[in-house]
Amino acid sequence: MGRKPQKNDSLPGSLDMLILRTLSRHSLHGYGIVQFIQQSSGNELLIEEGSLYPALQRLELNGWIDGAWGVTPNNRKARIYKITAAGRKQLNVETKKYAKLTLAIARVMEAQ
Amino acid sequence: MINLLRRLNYWRNNETRSQILLEEIELHLEEKAADLEARGMSAGQARSEARRQFGNAGQKQEESREIWMTRFLSELIQDVRYGARTMAANKAFTALAILSLALGIGANTVIYSFMESILLRSLPVEDPESLVVLNWHGRSPQEAGKDWVHVVHGVQGMMWPGDKGMLETGMFPYAALETLRDQNPVFSTLFGYFNGLSKTLAVSGQATSAATEFVTGDYFRGLAVSPAAGRLIDSADDRPGAAPVAVISFALSQQRFGGPSSAVGQSVLVDNVPFTVIGVAPPEFFGVDPASVPDIYLPLYTTQLVDGVRAARMFSDPNFYWVEMMGRLRPGATMAQAQALLAPRFHQWVATTASTDGERAKLPALKLNPGAAGLGGLRRQYSKPLFVLLAMVALILAIACANIANLLLARAAARRREMAVRLSLGAGRFRVVRQLLTESVLLASLGGALGVLFATWGVRALTLLFSNGQDNFTLHAELNWKVMGVTAALSMICGLLFGLVPALQSTRPDVMPTLKNGRVGGPRRRAQHALVVAQIAMSFLILVAAGLFVQTLNKLHSVQLGYARENILLFTLNARQAGHRDPEMTTFYANLRRRFESISGVNSATLAQSSIISAARTGQAVKGRIMVGTASIDGARVMAAGPRFLTTMQIPILAGREIDDRDQAGARPVAVISERLARTYFGNENPIGRRITLPEEKRDLEIVGVSGNLRYGSLKNEDQSAMTVLVAASQFSPDRVTYALRTTGDPLRFVPSVHEIVREADSRIPVTNVVTQAAEIDRTIKRELTFARLCTGFAVLALLIACVGLYGTMSYSVSRQISEIGIRMALGAPRSTVVWMVLRHVLILAASGLAISVPAVLIASRLVKSFLFDTQPNDPRTLALAGAVLLSAAILAGYAPARRASRIDPLVALRHE
Repeated sequence: MGRKPQKNDSLPGSLDMLILRTLSRHSLHGYGIVQFIQQSSGNELLIEEGSLYPALQRLELNGWIDGAWGVTPNNRKARIYKITAAGRKQLNVETKKYAKLTLAIARVMEAQ
Repeated sequence: MINLLRRLNYWRNNETRSQILLEEIELHLEEKAADLEARGMSAGQARSEARRQFGNAGQKQEESREIWMTRFLSELIQDVRYGARTMAANKAFTALAILSLALGIGANTVIYSFMESILLRSLPVEDPESLVVLNWHGRSPQEAGKDWVHVVHGVQGMMWPGDKGMLETGMFPYAALETLRDQNPVFSTLFGYFNGLSKTLAVSGQATSAATEFVTGDYFRGLAVSPAAGRLIDSADDRPGAAPVAVISFALSQQRFGGPSSAVGQSVLVDNVPFTVIGVAPPEFFGVDPASVPDIYLPLYTTQLVDGVRAARMFSDPNFYWVEMMGRLRPGATMAQAQALLAPRFHQWVATTASTDGERAKLPALKLNPGAAGLGGLRRQYSKPLFVLLAMVALILAIACANIANLLLARAAARRREMAVRLSLGAGRFRVVRQLLTESVLLASLGGALGVLFATWGVRALTLLFSNGQDNFTLHAELNWKVMGVTAALSMICGLLFGLVPALQSTRPDVMPTLKNGRVGGPRRRAQHALVVAQIAMSFLILVAAGLFVQTLNKLHSVQLGYARENILLFTLNARQAGHRDPEMTTFYANLRRRFESISGVNSATLAQSSIISAARTGQAVKGRIMVGTASIDGARVMAAGPRFLTTMQIPILAGREIDDRDQAGARPVAVISERLARTYFGNENPIGRRITLPEEKRDLEIVGVSGNLRYGSLKNEDQSAMTVLVAASQFSPDRVTYALRTTGDPLRFVPSVHEIVREADSRIPVTNVVTQAAEIDRTIKRELTFARLCTGFAVLALLIACVGLYGTMSYSVSRQISEIGIRMALGAPRSTVVWMVLRHVLILAASGLAISVPAVLIASRLVKSFLFDTQPNDPRTLALAGAVLLSAAILAGYAPARRASRIDPLVALRHE
């Protein structure tokens, strides 16, 4: 491993968004989410695996995702999370917020 | 809100959720390790690398769990702690609030428990909803004319007033049971029963009296009851010639046999007839009538063995009404269908039993009633009084709630500054309201818990009060979950309701004026005053009710009985049930009387058919009409009495003599008539030596004396009383006699000697109904007695709670006015002026409460008119007395704050600002 992948702490709250985004495509279990995020970021983003679980609990408490027993691709029994309607709405909100934020950051960076 | 539900749901599954989380993390680590292994790490390395990358698993787990709990739970704990601290800091306030709420809730729970057990509880049998009671209603046999014209020629049981002056009853002839039972498409079973009242039950030589129920063979099958031991009576047991068998109650099996299993197979004597115990009923089963719990169940046909020829006639006579019936609907059948089908069938049958036009004009009509709750005697007797009591305790709870509201209002005002500070420091309004609500709910919960404690005592006390010394009293109310639920809901509602308003008020966003001034009066004080006025108005209502009931009781106690009430012991023996027969029985009873009279401390002893007050409930001592010359004496009670009856009962002998030892079986039959009877039938002539003829008995009675008038039956109803004919017990020997002992000192002191004498004479005879004359008379006014006592208790309670409210309000009001009072005193106002200033305020509040209440009282008291005797619902004396009591209580409650006000040091008060 040449370059150290970036830990996801530059944008607080973005973990929730990433999870929601991931689940909006497939319903997955915890480790599956980690893998997906890592792979789809081209291994650039490495989320702190332990933080995933408090985040999942928080999202479930808010009613944005729903966990239920199911089977992983490896045929293991696990809790599979899927996004709820409220979760999609939230994802929408966060995506917009995120877009605004990155735009603002970009402007600052580009300012002469 | 949904969030909260989800949290609660989470807590409910706390254990499993933690377990799931653990499993998830475990799985994560395994998968990660597997991946790493696939990339070439060794198994051990992979595992530790997976753990390293995951971070602190335990901590993460803790974090995940906390997400569900933290804020909410920790805030709740904070609130409860803070609430407990403020409560501890205001001990007096808290104690008063909790106590008044507990008393209110306790009283409500008690009365509701009784209502529940009397009015709402179902029989403890399978599917009680499909049971139906068969009744009939019809015109009275004795309306208009005095002669009894009806297909009902004889009865053994109860009738009660139905709608529109009709009579209603559950008694039928046996033939009606057979007619309705055969080929019945709506009932799966139709069973009958007959209350055998108390019989003498001897178990291995030990005799006691036992409540007996005669039941048809379908009874237990129809009720769908399964035995606690042995088997129950079935159809094969209920036919002539079958071996006489008995089923006993669970309680009896424990008392007399040491448990259900050892009772089965034992032989017992019921009125000296041998029976074999074949089974024991389940513990919760009490027959079909909540008012009477049978000790022993016998097959219906065995009435013929126990009661002899008379009972055999009951079976065959289609005009004798005695057996009661219940049916169980077939699945799918409704009561309306059953009514439509059976009413014509019954009508058709009953028409064949009428022999004259007069009888045909008043045929009974079948009427089905729901049977889920069993027979309705108890409900008829108690439902109205219980609703009155429920209304009263509801008022008490309202007074208590007003107290809580008042105290919370006062406290909210006192804490307004605190709230304002908290709000201005950035506390959320919702957060502050929630904390205040937590406090008031905490208050209410404590009140509710204490209330339940009070209620358990109250239920016990009230059961004692209702039973009033009756040994076979069967009404057992208990606090069950339903009642608990109602109580809990009540206390929560009280807490929320009366916490919310002050909480919202004191957290109103405009904090600035409060921070500046520190004190406000205005609207809150008006609200408090309104509450106090309402409390006083409600207390007055209860006070007047209590006054009316106490007045009724006094009137009833001052009714002239015509005989002694105190220092008389009564008890009943039935020698016939133990096998004694005439003429030996008469001698047996007479000898016993002499033995009782020889007890030292007993001044005189006598015997009679029954106690005087219950004379109307026992049969006449003679059969048929009683005539003086050609005139038939109507409405006179003929009672068999032994020697020294008038002396023992202290009834004045107006002429001639009383019945004595001379009047033996062989001698000329004699009679002692009451003054009223003598006046009515002999005018001014001397009745001594005249004759009363008994055509049906073919005997003459010689009148040997005239006694004073005697009150029997109901104390309320005068015309029923006073006409009595006493005949000699030795000449018209009754089966059962009630002895009366006139004693020196407490009559109950002599009970052991009585038991000993009876045991010596014949140990097979139980001594029953041991009671003092005073208690026996009080039984007839049980309802009035209970009402007067309960309502007095309630009135004291209401007054107490209202006074607490008044006291609290006045104390608060004085503390608000400290500077004003200080200025007045500095300007030279004497202490008495200050006291008067506060008391005037109290009196104004009390007077306004009274003014509001009087019209309400005048309307409400009319509702209880039927409970009153010789007392007008608007009795001015009672109203005046209640008003005086209320005003003095108010002054008493207001005096302490007034005194405190007068002790204010002007200097301190002025600096106070």
